[in-house]
Amino acid sequence: MMRKIGAFLSHNQKFVPLASTAALAFVAYGIGMVLYPGMRDPQVFLNIFRSNTSILISAVGMTFVIISGGIDLSVAGVWALTSVAAAALLRAGWNPWVVIPLMLLMGMALGAAMGSFITYLKVQPFIATLAGLWFARGMCFFISDDAIAIDNWAWRLLGQTRILIPGLAELAWWQGTNPPFITISVVVAFLVFIVAIYMAHYTRFGRTIYAIGGYNGANEQSARLMGLPVDRTKVLIYTFNGFCSALAGITLSLFVMSGHGFYAQGWELEVIAAVVIGGTMLTGGEGYVFGTLFGVLVLGITQVLIQFNGELSSWWSRIVTGGLTFIFIGIQSILLARKARRKQAKETKIPGAVLRRRMLVGGSAFVAVILVAILTANLVPGTDQPVGAERSAGCELQPYRQEQAASLKEDGAVVVYERNGGPGCIDELYAVYPDGRIIGDNGTSKAEKQVTPEEVDTLLAGISNYGWFTDEMYDTWHTPCGVCYGYYLTVVHDGQEKTVKGVDGGTDAPADYWQVISVVKGIIPAFPATAQ
Amino acid sequence: MSDKNTNDLLVSMRGMTKAFPGVQALENVDFDLRYGEIHALMGGNGAGKSTLIKILTGVERPDSGQITLAGQEVHVRSPQYAQSLGISTVYQEINLCPNLTVAENILIGREPMKFGRIDWKTLNAQAKEILLRVLEMDIEVTRTLGSYSVAIQQMVAIARALEIESAKVLILDEPTSSLSIHETEQLFTVMRRLKGKGMGIIFITHFIGQVYQISDRITVIRNGKLVGTYETASLPRMELITKMIGRSIAVLDEMSKTKVETSKHISKEKVLEAKEFGQTGEVEPFDLDLHAGEVLGLAGLMGSGRTEMVSLLFGLQTPDSGTLTIAGKKVEKFSPYNSIMHGLVLSPEDRKAAGIVDELTVRENIILALQAGLGWFKHLSTQKQYEIAEKYIQMLDIATPSADQPVKNLSGGNQQKVILARWLATNPQILILDEPTRGIDVGTKAEIQKLVLSLAEEGKACIFISSELEEVMRSSHRIAVLSDRRMVAEFGSEVDEQVIMQAMAGES
Amino acid sequence: MTRSKFSGIWKKIIQSKLFFPLLALGIILLFDLITVPGFFSFQVRNGNLYGSLIDIFRNASTVMLLAIGMTLVIATGGIDLSVGSIMAIAASVAALLMNPYVLGTDLSANTLKLMTDPHFTYQPLWVVILVTLIVAIICGLWNGLLVAYIRIQPMVATLILMIAGRGIAQLITNGVRIQIFYEPYAFIGQGWIILPFSLYLVAFMYVIAWLLTRRTAIGLFIESVGINFRSSFFSGIHEKKVKLLAYAFCGFCAGLAGLVASSNIKTSDAFNLGRDIELDAILAVVIGGTLMSGGRFSLLASLIGAVVIQAITTSMYAFGVPAFALQAIKSVVVIAVILLYSEQAQVLVRKFSAQKEAQP
Repeated sequence: MMRKIGAFLSHNQKFVPLASTAALAFVAYGIGMVLYPGMRDPQVFLNIFRSNTSILISAVGMTFVIISGGIDLSVAGVWALTSVAAAALLRAGWNPWVVIPLMLLMGMALGAAMGSFITYLKVQPFIATLAGLWFARGMCFFISDDAIAIDNWAWRLLGQTRILIPGLAELAWWQGTNPPFITISVVVAFLVFIVAIYMAHYTRFGRTIYAIGGYNGANEQSARLMGLPVDRTKVLIYTFNGFCSALAGITLSLFVMSGHGFYAQGWELEVIAAVVIGGTMLTGGEGYVFGTLFGVLVLGITQVLIQFNGELSSWWSRIVTGGLTFIFIGIQSILLARKARRKQAKETKIPGAVLRRRMLVGGSAFVAVILVAILTANLVPGTDQPVGAERSAGCELQPYRQEQAASLKEDGAVVVYERNGGPGCIDELYAVYPDGRIIGDNGTSKAEKQVTPEEVDTLLAGISNYGWFTDEMYDTWHTPCGVCYGYYLTVVHDGQEKTVKGVDGGTDAPADYWQVISVVKGIIPAFPATAQ
Repeated sequence: MSDKNTNDLLVSMRGMTKAFPGVQALENVDFDLRYGEIHALMGGNGAGKSTLIKILTGVERPDSGQITLAGQEVHVRSPQYAQSLGISTVYQEINLCPNLTVAENILIGREPMKFGRIDWKTLNAQAKEILLRVLEMDIEVTRTLGSYSVAIQQMVAIARALEIESAKVLILDEPTSSLSIHETEQLFTVMRRLKGKGMGIIFITHFIGQVYQISDRITVIRNGKLVGTYETASLPRMELITKMIGRSIAVLDEMSKTKVETSKHISKEKVLEAKEFGQTGEVEPFDLDLHAGEVLGLAGLMGSGRTEMVSLLFGLQTPDSGTLTIAGKKVEKFSPYNSIMHGLVLSPEDRKAAGIVDELTVRENIILALQAGLGWFKHLSTQKQYEIAEKYIQMLDIATPSADQPVKNLSGGNQQKVILARWLATNPQILILDEPTRGIDVGTKAEIQKLVLSLAEEGKACIFISSELEEVMRSSHRIAVLSDRRMVAEFGSEVDEQVIMQAMAGES
Repeated sequence: MTRSKFSGIWKKIIQSKLFFPLLALGIILLFDLITVPGFFSFQVRNGNLYGSLIDIFRNASTVMLLAIGMTLVIATGGIDLSVGSIMAIAASVAALLMNPYVLGTDLSANTLKLMTDPHFTYQPLWVVILVTLIVAIICGLWNGLLVAYIRIQPMVATLILMIAGRGIAQLITNGVRIQIFYEPYAFIGQGWIILPFSLYLVAFMYVIAWLLTRRTAIGLFIESVGINFRSSFFSGIHEKKVKLLAYAFCGFCAGLAGLVASSNIKTSDAFNLGRDIELDAILAVVIGGTLMSGGRFSLLASLIGAVVIQAITTSMYAFGVPAFALQAIKSVVVIAVILLYSEQAQVLVRKFSAQKEAQP
């Protein structure tokens, strides 16, 4: 069978990028399942689709735009705008079944406007859609400065209904575990996906899109001369993408049950990356909607792998996205260069066997690189946490010792610091006194340290300088990851007292909070017996 | 003026006038096309024939004039509309989509549908049938167009043009530039068959021989004005050329005399020596010698490897085998920059894509290679640049209002002169000219050929490539022939045309 | 002045590259003059000049710096989307060099000292600046390598660093927003010598760029490569090296911009610094008349373009437009400006001036 696949690929070179992406997706997921038993839960796989419906829908629309040789930077802005507008309308009591079509129309209108600018006024797609992005985001804030929560029965119905997978559901019931499910959004995404494939390959509209793109605009010229309705098609492409963006915005609002202008900042790049990784060339003229599905999958699997690993900070996902985009573009460029060179050589054909071998070598080298990358990522400086530790069997957080903290304060402590959780599942409480005394208590043993009163003063002044007592410092919380800590910090200074809590691993906490925590961490004593 | 009533004509264009900013492209030109006729349209580059055709096909709108098609007045407002009227065009640059399949290219826009979706099976079958019927061509229609050679792509373009229902007028714009003799014959057979069916064909070309082979009438346009329309059978070749260039061809006769004289100036010293020089897949290893003061002509069909050979000599590719020595120094690194340093320069075949930098001025284009040779930091002062530019504008008689004119505003012939000036400014020892006279009006052609010979007189060596064999023969001291990527023969200048053509075809 | 001489000069003005950007700027400033009282007033404090107009220039300085590098890149027919991320990386490197203690967990005397002593820094300023700029150049070289040697499309190639670069910037600082206490560093973005110091940096970079492009052959080569890189290659120009230089230079400018920006807020904010600023930079270059397809460029026009964008923003604020509306309005204004450049408008202007000439 490998032979057949190899022969198929060497004959249809155009499928190579798609095949590599698909291979990558499978391989990555396979490795994940080996390394993290938690990933063997089919719900994890289904969750990739649940959390990426917006990207999938938007990427499908974007695929058409890119195949036609254009680009659309406005997509994430339209997501946000749709979410805010929908939330606002729902809050004002509009009928949800009116809101949805209205939002879709809005997206289409915006897309048509941009498409017209690009087609008739000859504005460059990059600039026109950039302006569209600004316009959309700006409009968000006309509607509302803050996030608007959605509390609508239809939205809840659409967003939270669980659709069980026949077959897997029975298996789960038999096993006694929760049946895996997907949401309506996922079904919608797949519908859009299938419609798009049909459009691309079975309608004149779709074929015209392929005819327009590529070759630096020469194709567009040719298409025009061939009598194809180029202008009309171009406007329709952007209109369709507007529809997809609006739909993606709706699914986003279903997922988070709210709308805000700040959502999805920078996500237009993720969408573009998904399309590119899916094998569509940015130069246009080539690419498959089918590949985009795998592109989205790859990005989603990356996220999952990083989550399960737990070691890598969330920004690694951006690096990996960038790296993957790089690798795929590299392949595209090489294939393009080879094609160009072969064009110059005109009739000389490389014997099929040689080509097949080259393809095999290239393909396996590529997959090997990815494997190495993933394995190395797992070996990156870790804790003593054994590879494979399950997230679900995490730390049972001990209740925060609030009364104890309060009594320490009565006692005269100026800084009370509690750290809870982490790989060792600890709960440590510290108090700093104005006379320089620092004590710590982790439930089993005590620790003590003495510093000068002046240092304590400097510490307090420094913390105050970071804006501790201003509005810049506020509470944030989310469920901590397996190896993350939760913090409680109370500071008393100059007659003011404030407690702020936070949790590792998120980007929601105010940045200076971490400055303060790290400074405090530096001053506390270590515990004698338990070495973390 | 035609002596027939307008109603009997397939196409009648009267008083066509069109101006672009700065240039009057057409001035009151009349043109007509009969039913069942092959009508050749000739004229130099920039003479106006492409504009005339663009008006007929709806790409441009005329400032004034009238078009009548089959007795009805029409306003052709777009290419789509032109097609619906029955006017099909096959352009010189293959205006198809290389990323789509052959079948799609033939039928796109008219794909057979089944239940509202494209019926691929029928599409592919239909395309195959069309190719077979119209062109007697049998190729795999499910492969992408781009995977085929230029010649095949052109045939597909023709097949598409012909398949449009109720095509009444077929316009072929330089269709034979990329075709071999055999393929050209195939095309002509098809054209004759279509003519027999009553179709009117407009045939634009600069191959005079082909015009006499296939056309019924000839229309000559010069400088935007109509020179005249003639029956091919009653117009001798010499007269045709005279009408095209507007003066006698005594000039051309003079050139053959010049050639005989300059052969005395060829030195014994080898200025270029290539031994076993080749690149797999591009050109087989060859030996080539060149002497100072000599013009070597390279003859061969399209695809025989001429351009590949000179590209290799110029360092655009790295050779797989052999050595190249220029003026006694062996060439170690292969790049255009290095070749220029050695004194070997190339004026490429594709003037537009690889020759001129169109937005830059004449002055900048001329000093470009010279500056490249000097590097980033040895900047030629603006004054020096003007000096050099003026010198060559004078020397080559480049028609431009000033040295600050963007090169894109110049005619093809003058653009070619600018490129030549660029290379001459670097004071090279060896000049390779790949199709320097392609698409240029006859007058400028003669000038360039004269220039080549005068360069030889000065002691420079030239390699001259042209698709027009008589041009090669007229301008060279020696002729090398390539066929199928191999150098097959070498002749002196007194050889018979037939012998060369046999060698080109691969027969010894 | 005779009629024909006047129209001759008029023609030259219109055809000059600076015309449209200056026109755009003029319109906006005129609008301000009419609607906002006191917009053009100046104050002098401690020998330094202050005022709304000065503010515009000062706030525009980061975009101006970026625009200088971006002009060269766009002129070669490319684009650099990663400048914002390079700014973030630069800021992170600089901040880390001045204050690496943040990464440790040891409340050494140094941390306390940092919080209180504005003249304490881990590395001397010149080391900080030098290393930062070198890192920025390396980023630019990376982009150039991808575009010129591996032949990846510029938009895609720089997209990679744009995405990954944010991650790298955050990695360097471990996600922490490093506070910068060192005063001399703050001078870069906030200092004043009669005029804001950052403007002097802009002027300095402009002079360097001008010397590099107009007093050597590099400018001609950049334009040539942007217009037609094949012809340039055939003429013996090392088009790969030219592109590499352009991207490296752009990286350098981005590094400098990163220093200015982070010095302004006295933090290195890897998550937000320079976000979306690449779009402003590209727009500045486009307003300045350089085509996105490459070719002829004008550094001065790009600088003016940057000022135009900032002028729009500042005018909106001065006019009382709330922040959230700004983005939307900016987009409309930008489209209007772009349309001004579109072929249709150019044709109209040309017809207009042709008519003027036709008058005897």
